[in-house]
Amino acid sequence: MLLQLAWRNIWRNPRRTILILAAVTIAVWSMVFSSALMRGIADQMVRNGIATLTGHIQIHQQGFRDDPSAAMHMKNPTELKQTLQDHLPPGALFSARVRTNAVASNARHSGGVTLVGIDPDREKKLSFVSSSIISGNYLDAEDPYGIIIGTSLMNSLKTRVGNKLVVMAQDTRQKMSSRAFRITGEYRAELEATEKEFVFITLPAAQNLLKMDEALSEICIVLPDREKVRETAAALARILPKDHEILAWQEMLPLVTATLRLYESIIYLWYLVAFTAMAFGLVNTFLMAVLERIREFGLLRALGMKSRWIIQGVMTESFFLLVIGIALGNALGAISVIGLSHTGIDLSVFAGGTQYWGLPKIIYPVLLASDAILVNGIVLVLGLLVSGYPALKASHFTPVEAMAHT
Amino acid sequence: MSLYSYMAWRNIWRNPRRSLLTMGAIAFATVILIFMLSLQFGNYSTIIDSVVKMRTGHLQVQATGYQENRDIHLAVADPSQVAATLDRAPEVSGFTFRAHAFALVSSDNRSYGTVVTGISDRELTTSSLARTISEGRFLTEDEGAQALVGNILAKNLRVKPGDEVALLGQGLDGSVAATIVTVRGILSSGQDQFDRVSFYIPLPYFQELFGMGEAVHEIVVIAERLEDVAGLKQRLEEEVAGDTGRALRVLDWKELSPGLLEAITLDLMTGFLFYIVLIVVVAFSISNTFIMAIFERKKELGLMLALGSRPARLTGILFLEYGMLTTLGLAAGILIGCLVTLYFGAYGIQIPGMAEMARHYGVPERVFPQLSFLSVGIGSGLVVGISLCTSLIPVWKVRRLRPVPAMAEG
Amino acid sequence: MCIVECENVRKIYRKGTQEVVALDGVSLKIKKGEFLALAGPSGSGKTTLFNVLGGLDRVDEGCVILDGDELNQLTDSRLAELRLRKIGIIFQSFNLIPVLSALENVEFVMLLQGIPPAERNRKAKELLGDVGLGGLYARRPAELSGGQQQRVAVARALAGNPAIVLADEPTANLDSQTGARLLALMKEMNQTRKVTFIFSTHDRMVMEYASRLVHIKDGRIRDE
Repeated sequence: MLLQLAWRNIWRNPRRTILILAAVTIAVWSMVFSSALMRGIADQMVRNGIATLTGHIQIHQQGFRDDPSAAMHMKNPTELKQTLQDHLPPGALFSARVRTNAVASNARHSGGVTLVGIDPDREKKLSFVSSSIISGNYLDAEDPYGIIIGTSLMNSLKTRVGNKLVVMAQDTRQKMSSRAFRITGEYRAELEATEKEFVFITLPAAQNLLKMDEALSEICIVLPDREKVRETAAALARILPKDHEILAWQEMLPLVTATLRLYESIIYLWYLVAFTAMAFGLVNTFLMAVLERIREFGLLRALGMKSRWIIQGVMTESFFLLVIGIALGNALGAISVIGLSHTGIDLSVFAGGTQYWGLPKIIYPVLLASDAILVNGIVLVLGLLVSGYPALKASHFTPVEAMAHT
Repeated sequence: MSLYSYMAWRNIWRNPRRSLLTMGAIAFATVILIFMLSLQFGNYSTIIDSVVKMRTGHLQVQATGYQENRDIHLAVADPSQVAATLDRAPEVSGFTFRAHAFALVSSDNRSYGTVVTGISDRELTTSSLARTISEGRFLTEDEGAQALVGNILAKNLRVKPGDEVALLGQGLDGSVAATIVTVRGILSSGQDQFDRVSFYIPLPYFQELFGMGEAVHEIVVIAERLEDVAGLKQRLEEEVAGDTGRALRVLDWKELSPGLLEAITLDLMTGFLFYIVLIVVVAFSISNTFIMAIFERKKELGLMLALGSRPARLTGILFLEYGMLTTLGLAAGILIGCLVTLYFGAYGIQIPGMAEMARHYGVPERVFPQLSFLSVGIGSGLVVGISLCTSLIPVWKVRRLRPVPAMAEG
Repeated sequence: MCIVECENVRKIYRKGTQEVVALDGVSLKIKKGEFLALAGPSGSGKTTLFNVLGGLDRVDEGCVILDGDELNQLTDSRLAELRLRKIGIIFQSFNLIPVLSALENVEFVMLLQGIPPAERNRKAKELLGDVGLGGLYARRPAELSGGQQQRVAVARALAGNPAIVLADEPTANLDSQTGARLLALMKEMNQTRKVTFIFSTHDRMVMEYASRLVHIKDGRIRDE
């Protein structure tokens, strides 16, 4: 009965109800959609970061991060690989690498790079390199002279696929060691900085160049589930020898982690701002609705209705309105997220800008259940709270006062 | 006050609660817009300032093609000629010469490839480089074999002031350029990208080592004010670039850091998308008040029509009413917005996650909004615009009002 | 000389699919200076006729000529102008703009006519004095009794120097004594100012004040 009354009351003035519904709907939509966009960007930054050699977990010799040289290597790879094979969850992938700073040069140009020795077959499954080749071929495991470089580096060295490139780096005995390679492939990365930095050769070629024998600089692990990273990293830290450092992606990509936190703050601030903007309208509309009905409330009071029931009645109206607005907002949000989930939002017009901020070129919104729940919760709870004011107002009209009102 | 504005004013206070809430919504939007725009603009000027002061300067004179190729051979052969022009230009606050070459730098047990830069004593007048010294002291031109090293590079090389570092590169003529320099100072700019690669030696010593003679790669110019840059660039192009038959080129900071302007545009656009959504929500919030101002008063408006008011006159009165509501809300919003912005402008804001980002982009860890006519102007403009749009619907409705049916309604 | 001429006026309202003939061929001539009552039960079409005469509503057939202007030929804007210059209107209730005082309500019409403030003020005060509200200039409508509100309305109707004053059941919401006093006031104004008055009523007592009585029923004029 009370519900029916409230429902009819909100449709007494359909125009007004529709306007305020629009405000609630747009506010909710903006909250849902903006968080989906920002989560989408953040998710993609994490994915890109992880695919750009970082992986979920990396294992190094203790101290490698501060001093990424050939001397900082892990000497017993066979044992290490066996341990990983035994302890990683099923579906996890790992790949061994050698990594060091080097100088790449040809006859006229030279530049500082990071030399990465990879196992081409294993690497294919867990990082971006093999899928980013735009000309030439991916590394052949049997080719000790093949090298893959990024487009940006290729331009600054003024070279192309098929040309010779000399790589010079410091070996384990602190001597400069150099060897000529032939460029077999060119890759394109999300960020220019990546293209400029990394050159890839085969693992044996790198071990040979740096006189490392079987030793490795790094093992990169990708887990089937990103949520399990910290847990697995902690487990590995217990099992592996103490001179090994186990890092999760959150520690390896501090900028991405910081961006995630910043985006989270922005999302919450936006919730607050959008809600407040909407709340002004909500309170105002209910105040109007209540003031228009002063006589009616007076009559109800005269008939012996307790003020608690009147408050309840008005709050129920607000509840209906909020629920409809929230439902519409969510529906609209879901439609926009799904609509964009294939095409994404293409920001390549601002390529320079996305490069600068380290953003992905195409943004695919990602709607998290936790965000959706939070949005709905905030709007419903705070919405009911602010409509308490007009409800209280309604309950305070005395019958005499109300009847005198015209 | 004319009777019309007097009527509008009284109409506003017929329902003070509603009017106050409406003004509140308008004021809220204004505060948010002014504050956020000030924050964005403040951030941009800090970023531009840091890039200009640390790296590019406002303008650079380079050999044509150097910016794209970074080829050691593309040098400005006679910088003194350009210097003479710059000395005459009143807008120039300072300028300096730089030369760059790729080299392998090695300590006892580590080697890294990096770009070595030769700097002159003039650097002090143009960049903030000297202020980033964290250990040791700054270079002078007349002391030869010495170097300033970024703190991350120094850590990687395991060197500290007083230690020796070997340099190995290729001179202009293709010969080997090799020498040993003493680390004079360590640089900590706070920007990791920068501190990982910086390596400075005195310019005369650089020119001798790489066989460059008097030549340099960049003549870095700082203008008195940012607004002077465009004019200065044009003059330099005529005088310097013209004289040398286009062998030299003048580049401004936007061309020197090409991503920067686009990054700012992108950020600004993203901001504006949020602002538009905000004002649309506010528009719907206030639209009820605007519309009610008509529907509640249909009888009264009908009466005015019956008495012979033209519909345009009613529109005028309603516009006045909306205008007053908007103006009051706007004024409150501008006042509060300016106060809030000034407060945070003085004390700064810390947002979680911002500090690490700031280190990367080389801006202070606290963000300082910067109040300007631009931020207040754009913020108020958006609010006035949306309020105007919102008022169009009811005003349009009024035009279709006929006296008899209007008066028949409650 | 005729100030108002109606010829064979028809007015039809549509309510859903139903057609209601409100005026069914009304012809009427009113001379300058008349004090004419339109009498008839509710639903007889007298309010419609009243609206048509006042330029508030348009006819479907026939023509209405007011002081030489054919109302149906005028644009909305010209019609508004005509109401402003030539017609004074008194409704049965809700005559006044709530946010304006008694004096300002009377001034409002003159404001629309573009009369300068000083003259407006002087004339409004004079008119309020004439209708017996000398001391109540600053009262808002809510602070006046029903009879006083109608007196302000009379003053307001005269303020624009109209050729004709139309009053639609001006006494309907008043008690009989107050109604009689209002009628007496209107009659006085009719005589001293030579303004034509047309008022509609279904009150016998009111009809007695009229110098000419027109009965209307089912959208037609029955007798005079």
